[in-house]
Amino acid sequence: MEILSIILVSILSGILTYLISNNLKKGPVFASAIVTLVSGIFLPHFFGEFGTSLMVVAACSSYAGMVAVKNIPNIWEMIIVSTITAMLFILASSAYLGVGGRLGTIAALSCFTWIGFKKFVYATNLNVKNTLKYKSVGIWS
Amino acid sequence: MKITRSKLNIIVCTVLGVTITYFLNHHMGYGAIISSGLVGVFSALLLPAPLAGATYTASFVGMSSQLIIPNVFFALTGGLIVGIIIIGTTQIYAGIGGKGGTTAAMASLITRALTGLFS
Repeated sequence: MEILSIILVSILSGILTYLISNNLKKGPVFASAIVTLVSGIFLPHFFGEFGTSLMVVAACSSYAGMVAVKNIPNIWEMIIVSTITAMLFILASSAYLGVGGRLGTIAALSCFTWIGFKKFVYATNLNVKNTLKYKSVGIWS
Repeated sequence: MKITRSKLNIIVCTVLGVTITYFLNHHMGYGAIISSGLVGVFSALLLPAPLAGATYTASFVGMSSQLIIPNVFFALTGGLIVGIIIIGTTQIYAGIGGKGGTTAAMASLITRALTGLFS
């Protein structure tokens, strides 16, 4: 149940940041900061001790939501990125505790994971394979 | 590297961003998330976009615990380091969510190394 809550809060936070930033045209800094601030005030108030973890995951996901439209063009992809963020957050919960920027690094890894996956799918598509500039890594060829 | 007025503005904003977030976080007891959010909201409202981004990135360094950044003077150093990194990496991975956090993590780890040298 706790894992599900973390994933849900992450998705909500990511979507809200993405919408405020791109649809309302408020910019990524304001969008992420307002989502972080509101989650930091309200989540611990309503969910107590567990709310502190939810607040941190909401902040983490809001950093991922700062992504540009050219990289994540629609909200469905943002949901996937937010889900990856939540899973990475759970897996890396004990890594680099207390280091500022840890949450942003998790967010960046999530974005890179999804963008890399999209590029992989694009590159393995037979229709576009012959149009690619680089066809091998160039070690033996 | 040529020092220009815009680069100096970025350094001033990052030093202020880290110091204010650190002060709100540890000295006033607001906690890391609320402190960073407050600095981010005010920077987005008061500053132009590039400076707001730099200040918000710097606020992530200010979220560090006192084991990483033990006092305000090291927070000032952290602000200087993150400012230099931001200026050097402006074009790299622009538009990727979490770029600022990764920059801040690098600055925090460098600051921690400096803390280990001087304390």
